[in-house]
Amino acid sequence: MAVMEVNGRRPRRGERRSLVRRIWRQRHDYLYVLPAIAVMLLVIGYPVYATIYLSFFNTPPNLALDDKIFVGFDNYWRIAMSDSVHQATWNTMVWTLWSTLFSFIIGFAAALALNREFFGRALVRGTLLVPYVISAVAAAYVWRWIFHSDFGVIGAISVELGLTDHPINFLDNQTAVLPSLILVNVWKEFPFAMIMMLAGLQTVPDPLLRAAQVDGANAWQRFWHITVPHLKGVALVTILLLLVANLNSFTIPYVMTGGGPAGASEIWITHIYQIAFGRIRFGLASAYSVILFLVMMSAGYFYVRALTRGDKDNS
Amino acid sequence: MTYREKSGPSRRDVLAAGAGLVGSSLIPANSFGQTGAPVDLANWSPEYVRKIAGTLEVDTAADCAKIVPLDYRGNITFWYVGPTDASPRIEHEIDAEFWAAFAKTYPNITVEKQSFDYNTILDKLRTAALGNSAPMVARLMLLWAPELAAKGFLNELKPEDVGHSSAEFWPAAMKAVTWRGKTYGVPTYNETMALIWNAELFEQAGLNPEEPPATWDDLVNYSRTIKEKTGKFGYGMVARRNAGNTPYRFMPQCWAYGGGALDETAAAPRYEQVLLDSPGTKAALQASYDMYVRDKSVPVSALTNTQNENQDPFLSGNLAMMISHPSEYAVMLDKAARLSGDERARADRAIAKVRYGLIPKGPARRAVAFGGWNAHIFKPSVTGGKHDMEAARALVTFMTGPEWSTKLAWAGSNPGNLRGFKTSWMKKRLETIRFLDVTTSMLTYGVPFPVIPESTEIMNIIVPDMMQNALTGRMSVSAAADAAARQVRDALSI
Repeated sequence: MAVMEVNGRRPRRGERRSLVRRIWRQRHDYLYVLPAIAVMLLVIGYPVYATIYLSFFNTPPNLALDDKIFVGFDNYWRIAMSDSVHQATWNTMVWTLWSTLFSFIIGFAAALALNREFFGRALVRGTLLVPYVISAVAAAYVWRWIFHSDFGVIGAISVELGLTDHPINFLDNQTAVLPSLILVNVWKEFPFAMIMMLAGLQTVPDPLLRAAQVDGANAWQRFWHITVPHLKGVALVTILLLLVANLNSFTIPYVMTGGGPAGASEIWITHIYQIAFGRIRFGLASAYSVILFLVMMSAGYFYVRALTRGDKDNS
Repeated sequence: MTYREKSGPSRRDVLAAGAGLVGSSLIPANSFGQTGAPVDLANWSPEYVRKIAGTLEVDTAADCAKIVPLDYRGNITFWYVGPTDASPRIEHEIDAEFWAAFAKTYPNITVEKQSFDYNTILDKLRTAALGNSAPMVARLMLLWAPELAAKGFLNELKPEDVGHSSAEFWPAAMKAVTWRGKTYGVPTYNETMALIWNAELFEQAGLNPEEPPATWDDLVNYSRTIKEKTGKFGYGMVARRNAGNTPYRFMPQCWAYGGGALDETAAAPRYEQVLLDSPGTKAALQASYDMYVRDKSVPVSALTNTQNENQDPFLSGNLAMMISHPSEYAVMLDKAARLSGDERARADRAIAKVRYGLIPKGPARRAVAFGGWNAHIFKPSVTGGKHDMEAARALVTFMTGPEWSTKLAWAGSNPGNLRGFKTSWMKKRLETIRFLDVTTSMLTYGVPFPVIPESTEIMNIIVPDMMQNALTGRMSVSAAADAAARQVRDALSI
């Protein structure tokens, strides 16, 4: 059995015995979570194990999976040496960081605006939620036509207004494609940040704000010195969740451009999909997946730390 | 990278054996008493096709009864790519008619069928096979069979197993279901495409509205002229990655210039020589580059378009030429029927001016991708043990006979069973479907994609990547072709 830390250090022998006694006394609590853990082991644990295992094999399309060839760390070496991986990594960083940043900023701004009473607030809030609830595939197809390089709405308007001579090339341009996709992703994701921050804003004590106002603090001072410190925890959690969601985000890039043109919008997730289901190299795709898994676990670690730090602060 | 070929005969030996099997003239009689090829492929022409249509009467139920009794009781699971929202209405009607007819012929066989999107069925099938939940029978695009056969997912299956004769099917189609000398499927229908153009735009550009470009060089010039004179796009290029539409349009151009992926255009290909970096392929790629970059006569969105995205621009008179199936005309009629006002008027004008012609030829040849679909039976080891061979044979016999081989090909294809060309249904198709004779006459120029498991990777990833690398300027034309050839050599370890 793994030894739990007590007060941040390994427990001494006497303490370990009392720990075992505590766990035994609370065994029924563990039984209650056992079904959930069992399901998680089945649908998450086993696939993770199988993926890690497969990452050490070569699985060419002309061989059944049972005939796979053990190659050790060769797949990982191929990834390190691959040019396409370098491009996909850069694209992933740009995609993830900018999507997260803008989604958070716009979501926070919307939350601040919705935190005060005004006529039609409920309607506005419902409308702003629409991008989040729309199917990602449907949204991607619609945006694909809005951004269409020849017959898109945006291009047509810009020509009609005399802003450009030709429709704007958004999705078939190596430079413009990723910002275009990020814009769609931010449109889709910002309501999530809005909801999270709006919930956080409800926890800011109103008497404190009024007291500060009475003491002469202006709006910016109240925001910066009272509101923001109260929102640090929820902001951190929101940003981490956005980071994880954007790292995992597949639908928008895949449906809108397929990773093109010439790999300019290829991110890790779409790259893994191409390797697995386009090139039918499951071993290599598994190695990619393991690397991405480690990155995601790191983000997950910080997320859990942020959550539990919040619990410690409140206790 | 460590790579090991499975032990066994070399590719050369088994493919030579396969070619011999297919080319053999001593084909045994089928259960229906037919011997040898039922049509004269040497004299194939639109006139010959019209002459033989309607000369054969078929009783499908009686034919099927000779293979599997009509009162047989059984269950099968079946996957296929059925009609979608983008398909013409007639395909939906025929699909419904097929299942009704099968249920009437075999009332005691239950079919659990699932229809998937073209771009997702193969992934789902691979996953299902790995999870031992593959269907018993599937109708799959012919490019997919070699991988499934190589992985041991498919039962051996030849036309003789379902009451036909191998000679009743196109030799190229039989090649596509043969892996290492064994046959793993029966062709259902076979597709070729044609060049479609808008005669009105040709006229506006000062071109002969009734004559297509004769060569690919002419097509490049036509595309430029149309753009310069009318402001509309010339040719509907398709260069999207991981979309089957892309190789079906680029490879005929590539073969025409004398290029190819491997030696698939050879009479007895060995699939050991990579031709993506050959002068012919580079010439074809250069022609695409000239249209996209130099002349800007094709849609900018070609890099992310599939053929679906060409349909509306063509119908609205904004695109002059494209390569597609005979069903494209039916799609246009369906789409136009849903329009109104000015849009309807423009669509009707475009439809009135639609013309079909042979795909242009190049310095080496005239070529078209020999496409099609085959019926396969999966092994019990990947269907989770659930297997009803007799019910599966019943469905395959029914589907690949002359009647349904013809009907299922109604709007977009040609019967895989050559006897289908002699039926009354073929005669009716020729009378009612415009331009069918054109795509039918392209069949003799058909070149199947390389019959190897890596074909999907080459055609859906490597070839489109090559195009995109050249067309975006990320690499020069020559460098893009060389890089693609290296990838293929790496994939095949040659």
